[in-house]
Amino acid sequence: MKLLSSFKKELILASRGFYFYVELIFALVILAVLLFAIPQNFSGTSTEYLYFDLPQEGVEIFTNQILADDLDGESEMVEIEAGGKTFNAELIVTDESETYIVNSEEAVRMLAETHGNIGAVIELNENNQLHYKYYLQGYESTRLKNLISVLHNESTDILEERFNNQDVRPLSTGYEPLSDRENTIPPLVAFSGSLMGMFIMASYIFLDKKEGVIEAYAVTASSVWQYLMSKIFVVLLTSVVSGLIIIMPIMGFRINYGLSLLLLLTTGFFASSLGLLIASFYNNLTKAFGVIYLLLIIMMVPGIAYFIPGWGPFWIKIIPSYTMLQGFKEIILQNGDIVYSLITSAGFLAAGIVLFAITNIRFKKTLRV
Amino acid sequence: MIEVEGLYYSYSNDDNFAVKDVSFKVAEGEIFGFLGPSGAGKSTTQGILTGLLQLQKGNASVAGYDIKNISRKMFNKIGMSFEQSNVYSKMTAKENLSFYSKLFDVETRDPIELINLVGLGGKENIRAGEFSKGMKHRLTFARSMINNPSMWFLDEPTTGLDPAIAADIKDIIREHNNKGVTVFLTTHNMYIADELCDRVAFIINGEIKLIDSPKNLKLQYGKKMVDVEYAQDGNVKKETFSTILQKDKDLLNQTIADKEILTMHTKEATLEEIFIKVTGRGLA
Repeated sequence: MKLLSSFKKELILASRGFYFYVELIFALVILAVLLFAIPQNFSGTSTEYLYFDLPQEGVEIFTNQILADDLDGESEMVEIEAGGKTFNAELIVTDESETYIVNSEEAVRMLAETHGNIGAVIELNENNQLHYKYYLQGYESTRLKNLISVLHNESTDILEERFNNQDVRPLSTGYEPLSDRENTIPPLVAFSGSLMGMFIMASYIFLDKKEGVIEAYAVTASSVWQYLMSKIFVVLLTSVVSGLIIIMPIMGFRINYGLSLLLLLTTGFFASSLGLLIASFYNNLTKAFGVIYLLLIIMMVPGIAYFIPGWGPFWIKIIPSYTMLQGFKEIILQNGDIVYSLITSAGFLAAGIVLFAITNIRFKKTLRV
Repeated sequence: MIEVEGLYYSYSNDDNFAVKDVSFKVAEGEIFGFLGPSGAGKSTTQGILTGLLQLQKGNASVAGYDIKNISRKMFNKIGMSFEQSNVYSKMTAKENLSFYSKLFDVETRDPIELINLVGLGGKENIRAGEFSKGMKHRLTFARSMINNPSMWFLDEPTTGLDPAIAADIKDIIREHNNKGVTVFLTTHNMYIADELCDRVAFIINGEIKLIDSPKNLKLQYGKKMVDVEYAQDGNVKKETFSTILQKDKDLLNQTIADKEILTMHTKEATLEEIFIKVTGRGLA
């Protein structure tokens, strides 16, 4: 009854405050970005400019080879501007690229420089052999440069034979890969839904400290843990609502919402208990800001590893948000690892309980901080 | 109702004590004043007795509960009005009191009744954040009565209030005391202590210097004299008579009988004068 009354009071306070709406609006903004700014899958189409400084016969052979992959089998004559000049070009559009065939090396150079894409000039050298000149941007990886070198130093036939002889066998076929849009959900939910709770919880406590109402609560027959838990309930509510605002429109009914709620609640409990613990050491947000900011930065580092699968040192894996991200990913993956998500939830629940117990002791001792 | 013995408290956990060897008892139904200047140790002692500060050394019990192991049930019996108003500014006066009324295991008072009692009638649906300092203070005072406390801690209950409102607050305190409520009054205001308290303790630098009733203190430290002003031949004359010497007593009677008395004052000492005499320091 006392806990319920405190929860009701916290809801009234939250609904009349600022932070409650910040989290929800933030979730709506993220959803809008996901739906309208981030494509379902990031496009791999590249744009390139070519000039064939070859006899007409050679030009036709190259052009026809590219044209064979054109989406409608026909090229289009277009005009393209660069450096204040307009160049005529033959545009060939394939699944992977948009190729502009122009009439001069100057056009290739200016287009590459102005539009930031790769250009190439294919010509014959003094020995009547094909010679390739590339206009790169300077930021291309060594891998790409090496690949270009290999392409022109190995016989095309040998390369094709080697590619064809490669036997690629997937080790696991149970996973349906996530689209690029879906793949961004775990970090967004973890950071906006769960970890934001840490900051908001600390803010709620500092507001109460400013008004001195913690002391007033301490001289009632209600326990301090009920006061703290009622705040956690409000933060959990906003975490769940903001998490679902992001997840539901993107994932629809393709995921297990029971598991999602469980992980949102347990990670939210962990994060808000951490926020409470921090708040027990300081008496205003300004003094606590450094620690909160540092923790948020540390918690965001696993987000980098999430988007760079090849980079995952051991120390990243011991940061709680790493497990959080993987847990959310397993939930939205079709045939994801349910046991992993359950263990993750149990882990955050246990860690949250420990943090909450320590915080409760701290608040009993530091009511006048 | 309150028993304190050998109480010590240090904020820095060393020998720099804010409260040193404090001992006193408060009987049931008594109004006990804790009088001292700022930083004397009044609020620290009250903080320990209400569980806001942990007991470090000594023994204390409040309403039959040992302060070493405070039971939450103790708070069903005590009420606490803070010097600094501490109400939820985003909640209305009624919402504030209604919320606190649900945090006790005993029958509580009607929030509207309390709001009216402290002169905030008609303001119950206004958010406390829109209240003046004095109104917030009255709401804090009203909240301390929500659980019908038998032990009432009041920290500067009339601070910042205009005289009329302060008089109302004093009446409320007297009324509750007449019903048997024990009051522990912390203040540096000698007038309220003089008016309300059955006994007062003078505390300075964390130590209690003296405990007695205001009446006894005045008798002990006051001069046994009467100043009389009377009219004679169109002029105002002033004379001082001893209330002990028979000769002066006869002269005083004669003056009262024969002259037109304008003013007459006993030369009793004020609590502040006594405090200065005992501690060597003022109450400001």
